[in-house]
Amino acid sequence: MARVSERSGWARALRRNALMLALAVAWELAARLHLTTDFLLPSFFTVMRRLALDTVSGQLPMALAYTLYRALVGFTLAAVLGVVLGILIARVRLARWFFDPLVSVGLPMPKIAFLPVFILWFGVFDESKILMVAFSAIFPVIVEAAAATESVDRILIWSALGLGAGERRLLWEIALPAAFPQIMTGLQVALPISLIVAVLTEMAMGGEGLGATMMQAMRFADSPGVFAGIIAIAVAGSVLVKAMEIVRRRLLVWHAEAEAR
Amino acid sequence: MAGTGIAFESVSHTYRPARGRPVLALDRVSLAVREREFLALLGPSGCGKSTLLYLLGGFLPVETGRISVGGAEVTGPGPDRGIVFQNFALFPWKTVKQNILYGLEKQKLPRPEREKRAQEFIDLVHLMGFEDSYPSQLSGGMKQRVAIARTLAIDPAILLMDEPFGALDAQTRGLMHEELLGIIERRPKTVVFVTHDVREAVYLADRVAVMSARPGRIKEIVEIGRDGRLGPEIVKSREFIDKVDYLWDSVRTEALLAQSQKSTEP
Amino acid sequence: MSALKRYLPLLLLALVWEAAPRLHIIDPASVPPLSQVATAWWDLLRSGDLVSNGLSSLENLSAGLALGVVVGISLGVLMAWYRPLDELVHPLVRALYPMPKSALIPVMILWLGLGSASKIASIFIGCLLPVVLSAYNGARGVDRVLIWSALAAGASRRAVLWEVILPSALPEILAGTRNALALSFILLVSSEFVIGQRGLGYLISFLGEGGAYDAMFAGVLTVAAVGFLADRVYLAVMRSALAWRE
Repeated sequence: MARVSERSGWARALRRNALMLALAVAWELAARLHLTTDFLLPSFFTVMRRLALDTVSGQLPMALAYTLYRALVGFTLAAVLGVVLGILIARVRLARWFFDPLVSVGLPMPKIAFLPVFILWFGVFDESKILMVAFSAIFPVIVEAAAATESVDRILIWSALGLGAGERRLLWEIALPAAFPQIMTGLQVALPISLIVAVLTEMAMGGEGLGATMMQAMRFADSPGVFAGIIAIAVAGSVLVKAMEIVRRRLLVWHAEAEAR
Repeated sequence: MAGTGIAFESVSHTYRPARGRPVLALDRVSLAVREREFLALLGPSGCGKSTLLYLLGGFLPVETGRISVGGAEVTGPGPDRGIVFQNFALFPWKTVKQNILYGLEKQKLPRPEREKRAQEFIDLVHLMGFEDSYPSQLSGGMKQRVAIARTLAIDPAILLMDEPFGALDAQTRGLMHEELLGIIERRPKTVVFVTHDVREAVYLADRVAVMSARPGRIKEIVEIGRDGRLGPEIVKSREFIDKVDYLWDSVRTEALLAQSQKSTEP
Repeated sequence: MSALKRYLPLLLLALVWEAAPRLHIIDPASVPPLSQVATAWWDLLRSGDLVSNGLSSLENLSAGLALGVVVGISLGVLMAWYRPLDELVHPLVRALYPMPKSALIPVMILWLGLGSASKIASIFIGCLLPVVLSAYNGARGVDRVLIWSALAAGASRRAVLWEVILPSALPEILAGTRNALALSFILLVSSEFVIGQRGLGYLISFLGEGGAYDAMFAGVLTVAAVGFLADRVYLAVMRSALAWRE
């Protein structure tokens, strides 16, 4: 079949999103025709209406704010600490010796299993949630930061040394920028993890936030509420990921790989 | 079998990339290959010689024109046209022996027969002792020998070779030339050999078809009158040197043209 | 020997874990000494709680993961093989990928109630997309000359799918499945926290709520250890399956 690229942009966009549109239509139809109960699958418009209502009433923005707060604070903690630790591990022999087993054991572990421990130590409010987020998100950051710092092109370092750079300047002006793309990658992996874990802690513990409101809705058999929650989380997730991509592209304008996405 | 002469009748091919405009790769190529002949397709990068080979192999559909083998039109790939690629195309998860056995299994030969033939061809390409090695453990020259053995094992009447020695260093390439000539002498086949190396073409072929820069056409066909002479001595003969010079000139103009074109070879 | 040297810091940590609570450097109510945790672990084992909940977790994990892997590979490879299917499904996959699948746990509860089914479904949904994408990329990345060599050797299109595309895509599929394995543990524990009833996650939260902190720690360590070991075992299997790569 000849792939003619002169089709209008509209037609192509339509074709690409055909399945999603079809699913949305099927969703609405299934509800309208009562193929499934209102409980199992509330109609598309019901859910949309609910989303709109909750947004206007301030309920949704409030819950979103709580979740984002926890996710982003935890993420920042993980980012800062993770990068520092990662660089340390790459450059200080003792640090590497100490942290390597911790990180390699910690990476494949389901860190969410530690939630009850965090609750025991830090209570049932924001602190435990934020720290749980940080704990989960820090591992990929450490790994990427360590790998990035280690693998900075030796030729680059030698050139800088040849030009008279001292140790400190070397780190800040050559090694870090060179390591930056990979560190960014680690952060990009950590961000969705932060959001997921924030939602999970809210589901398990309650106390405001999208996860908690979803569980609440479930308990009251309020399925439009549950579905509205999912859509809110999905949108939040996409926005965060997209924002990260834009930040990456801006910061790494000089980096060829930024194009290779 | 009704003979293995190959006929290209006014074959054209357009390359349609996912993005960008379609490009005419081949323009009404007509060519006849005699049975048991060794024909070299010589031309600069991007001239479409590999494309022509892939069409003959049945890997790309013939949209315009006709390609026939022994009178029958080519409709798809088949064991009558064996192919050897530049990057060897060995199945990396199979051992040397398993690679060579693959085609024999497809031929549905009984097991003892398969094993015997596989061993025969391993011996033929001098890879005894490497039956259970994986491709990742072999050198470039060895990998290419496995590829040749794998293709020859199913005894195709026609052998298609797409710059098979291009990835090898010069010395290995020289050795492979000898091996190839030796193999063909023992089991004659019709060979269509794609290359951009003029000396290689003159050294191996009975006839050399020079292709123009894109869109590919047959610029001219040169007869290498070798009178059955093969082997390293011929490079010293006057005729060899003259033929190489002549073809080099012919290809050179095309190569210059090709350089100024943006490469869109698939 | 080198393995011992590598994991020595963990040993040191274990020593600190034992000594610090006992010396009241850390509050032993929040951090029971390691020996106490070990005893509690042994008690859990003997009482059968650990085993019965462990088995429940194992069942649900295996079911959800197996489903996710089988469906994921099939879908991914089919998408790579049939262009029309690809064009249809791919945008949906790409849109759903960034969504946190754990957010679907409440929906699963809504649809399937509080029990194994919703746990398995949550795990399945969580594992599916990474496997689909890795199978898709693996199958698409097959060098076409491999396919052509097989066709020229007389293979049918179906044979090419099973004998060339799948083996060629295997490295990528195995990498994606490793990812799915880690995700399945996360979703298992989370769904057990939320849904309860049975399983190691449920056991941990139950013990925590009941104040049996040493047993709780024992449970947490068990889950962490199993998750870690599963990954290591998988890596070993993966490496032997890909021995031809060198």
